[in-house]
Amino acid sequence: MNINFQKGNIATLMTVLLLLTSTAVLAQERKIIIEPDPITIDVGEELQLKATLVDEAGEAQPDTVIFFSRSRRSLAVTRTGLIKGMKPGTYTVIAITVGSREQRVRKDFKVNVAFPPIASVKFLGIPENIYDRSTIDIAVEVIDEASLIRENPELTYSTSNKEIAELIHGKLITKKPGKFTITAEIEGKKATYKGEVISNPTETIEINNQTTIANTGDVINFDAVAKDRRGRTLTDVPVIYSYIAQPDDDLGNGASGQVSQEGKFVANQPGLYTLMAKSGTAFAQQIIRVEARNVKKDVEVVGHGAVLDVHTSDLWVWEGVDGRDYAVTGTWGANGDAYFWDVTDPYNITAIDTVRVDARTVNDVKVSEDGRIAVITREGASDRKNGMVILDVTNPREVKILSEYNEGLTGGVHNAFIYENHVYAVNNGRRYDIINIDDPENPVTVGRFELDTPGHAIHDVWIQDGIAYSSNWSDGIVAVDIGSNTSADMPGAGGSPENPVKLGSYTYPSGWNHAAFPFKSKSTGDFYVVAGDEAFPFGLPSRTNPVGARGWIHFVKFDGWENPDEVARYQIPEAGTHNFWIIDDVMYVAYYNAGLRIVDISGELMGNLYDQGREIASFEPNHPESLIPNTPFTWGPQPYKGYIFISDWNTGLWAIKLHDRPVSGTN
Amino acid sequence: MKHFKSLKWTLFLLGVFLLSADSIAQDYYVYVAAESDDEVSLIRFDGKTETAEIARTTEVGVFPAENEGPHGLTISPDGKYWFVSIAHGMPYGQLWKYKTGTDEFMGKVDLGLFPASMDISPATGLLYVVNFNLHGDMIPSTVSVVDYESMIRVADIETGIMPHGSRIDSDGRYHYHVSMMTDELIEINTISMEVERKLNLVSGSDKMKMDSKRMDHSKMDHSAHGSDDKKMDMKMHNPEVKPTWADPHPSKPLVYIAGNGNDEIIEIDTDKWEVNRRFKTGKAPYNLEVTHDGKLLVATYKGEAKTALWDLKTGKELKRIDMSRRVTHGVAISTDNKYAFISVEGIGGEPGSVDIINLEKMERVAVVETGKQAGGIIFWKQS
Repeated sequence: MNINFQKGNIATLMTVLLLLTSTAVLAQERKIIIEPDPITIDVGEELQLKATLVDEAGEAQPDTVIFFSRSRRSLAVTRTGLIKGMKPGTYTVIAITVGSREQRVRKDFKVNVAFPPIASVKFLGIPENIYDRSTIDIAVEVIDEASLIRENPELTYSTSNKEIAELIHGKLITKKPGKFTITAEIEGKKATYKGEVISNPTETIEINNQTTIANTGDVINFDAVAKDRRGRTLTDVPVIYSYIAQPDDDLGNGASGQVSQEGKFVANQPGLYTLMAKSGTAFAQQIIRVEARNVKKDVEVVGHGAVLDVHTSDLWVWEGVDGRDYAVTGTWGANGDAYFWDVTDPYNITAIDTVRVDARTVNDVKVSEDGRIAVITREGASDRKNGMVILDVTNPREVKILSEYNEGLTGGVHNAFIYENHVYAVNNGRRYDIINIDDPENPVTVGRFELDTPGHAIHDVWIQDGIAYSSNWSDGIVAVDIGSNTSADMPGAGGSPENPVKLGSYTYPSGWNHAAFPFKSKSTGDFYVVAGDEAFPFGLPSRTNPVGARGWIHFVKFDGWENPDEVARYQIPEAGTHNFWIIDDVMYVAYYNAGLRIVDISGELMGNLYDQGREIASFEPNHPESLIPNTPFTWGPQPYKGYIFISDWNTGLWAIKLHDRPVSGTN
Repeated sequence: MKHFKSLKWTLFLLGVFLLSADSIAQDYYVYVAAESDDEVSLIRFDGKTETAEIARTTEVGVFPAENEGPHGLTISPDGKYWFVSIAHGMPYGQLWKYKTGTDEFMGKVDLGLFPASMDISPATGLLYVVNFNLHGDMIPSTVSVVDYESMIRVADIETGIMPHGSRIDSDGRYHYHVSMMTDELIEINTISMEVERKLNLVSGSDKMKMDSKRMDHSKMDHSAHGSDDKKMDMKMHNPEVKPTWADPHPSKPLVYIAGNGNDEIIEIDTDKWEVNRRFKTGKAPYNLEVTHDGKLLVATYKGEAKTALWDLKTGKELKRIDMSRRVTHGVAISTDNKYAFISVEGIGGEPGSVDIINLEKMERVAVVETGKQAGGIIFWKQS
């Protein structure tokens, strides 16, 4: 029996080997021939390809070949090989035979969709008056016959008289008065500009800045004025700004400051600075002294509500209807619990109740302004019907579930906000649903807001004075009127929960926008929407060692909804932002692996605030017995009644207090 | 002569090796995804001692503090790669590719909303994954087609609402899935990459079967479709069958459907394109798989924490087996038809598990705990 079995196995083995060998050889020997070859089509042109499977002798074999495109939005390909050019470029098409893996033949080949001929070349951004001794940014727009802008055109520049003006890397350098012609040419089409460099009439230039003693981080406005020989102010002459630094610590120090060509300067380091403004041959300078900002405070760790066995998510702290102070924290990737704490005495944070819902993650927790209603979000429900749960927190020691609501929210609610008896629930990354909770046991969806951009996504929403500020990853920050009131820092547009109206937005290239917070500077009156990132750009981190977080805080100044301008950032180089809070010109930002950072954001903002000595304090929560020992991963802060409460993913709820540093005496 | 003797010895030793290798062939390997822990575990099951353990766990996803939800799994036909659908993205999910054995990450590609179950066609070598779109709105979703060698998405085929249960017949020509919210079985031609036929699964509705090829779309009003889903009547259909899975028979023109909403397994004759038999089941059948010899059907009953074994010839339920915890999910059957590996989600913070059933004894023989919400499961190899 065994012998027969052996023989059988051997025979089977040999047969299989032979079959594998022969089929492999068969697949190798056959090939697909595509006609025509090479393939070039125009944008909009269609062409039927022909595919023939041939054996090693070149004999055609009957088979089915199907086609697909590697870039189907640029080159459309039907299964039967009808191609259509959508966008110029060279694209790969794949043809495969249908059949078993061993016999399948595949061919990758190129299709060239020709660039349409150039239709026009145009200079952009040339000012009305071109003065000598200046540098002007010039752009050239190239449009083809398909009305498409040619990206990265290979232009050839020429200048008629290089002693007058010269075009280098898109910048026009003017040297002395006189007539000149510049030309940009591509594929036989060209743009020609005939201009004249005129003498810069600036006779003198003044720096009118009155702040000659400042602190690091203070933005100095040059207030430079150019005047002609008659003392008249010139408004259209180019002014170049610069500075010379003499930092107090000059031992290999880093960048000491920053100057913008709008005439603003900010120093990172204490020291002496020479501010310089130049127009034509006129030149002015001003010496200023910059001192250390000196905002540091000491941190006192007041209390810790330890959560060491599961991850902690968001927090909310509020004054209960009984006048005591309470906090609620969510849990992440665990049992679907929300923990309630008595924090009246932050030195003695006490757990007082737990609410468990069908979920793995209670990511967000929010409490209504009157302290009676809470909403917690659900993800990972066992029946996959996620959504949110509304709680009665009138007595936080005996929290009651009023209702579970998942109408249209089954994919999961990640974040939520309560505002004027409505819950704004971020509905699984696509939009926010607006749910009326006048009757919290019977919530009802009354509206929703969703962007219409391709592939839009949303992460969080925050509401102030009837304006919802949402964070939308690659779509950035978006402001929506959901019932703006007279306290709003910016004008509304008559929106309501039933009819949300978009007001403005701002995107930035990274696509990392994770949080948004409105901020009206008490010191300057400027209005910002502050945008926070969440990013793990190195990918595939280890959850037990999550140090790959990156991202920063973006300060986007709005001068009207149509005029956003990103003017500053707060970026710790080796860490990543999460949630944050701003009050009284102080920002509290949970910086994941860098703990909590407290930052002075008073005054005009410019540059990276991290470099400017604006950090008031930092606190890195950790615990040797937490799920990930001795590792801060700070989720979110909330300043409250003189304390700062913090939720940390690895260690739970913390309370800290800041103390002024004693003034050092001098001898 | 000397060479002949050498050859004889070589063949003899090879035979002994094969015999002994066969007799010690006892390790079975399956991959299982823990959807709420963002990890995929390789389970090794010793068929001799009938004990199982986690051989290795791979963390998937990018955000440590966001649940990205690995859901569906499959293995390339040559066994060299495994694939996992990552359900949550911004907003689109992705397909990730790994090497089997080393679990080395190889690449990823964007899919649609909440991509779920998937299969690879033996005919085209392409991977077909349903975009389940669990996001609330009752709008048609897609099946994405991926060239897994280069990890590019080559097509998106519009299909029903909340499609799930992506399986391909043995010759690779047809892909079957169900549209959970419209009570339909949907057949896709893997070569033309078009929906070929739809079948209403509600009892008594056999005459409503549709042949998309013969439908005159030009006379239909599609104005309510598209991104402006506010126009859609989101309560247009209250599903009765709520089908969650479809699995073709390995050798007959039959497809089996899990009727999660009406507690039925439905047998479809794909030649006639009509319901052949309906089997009343336990509560909420969810996934099912036919053994490779076509004799047994293994079905998870999500609503009662059990897995049932059905004799397909008689149409009788042979055994209903208790699982180690609640919310039974997926089924993977070993190539020798000896074992069924069942993923069980669990609830809340409890671990998920893979419960292993000896199909000859018809009893659960092993349990191995995994990360939370064990869902997608796929048999890799036996060695």
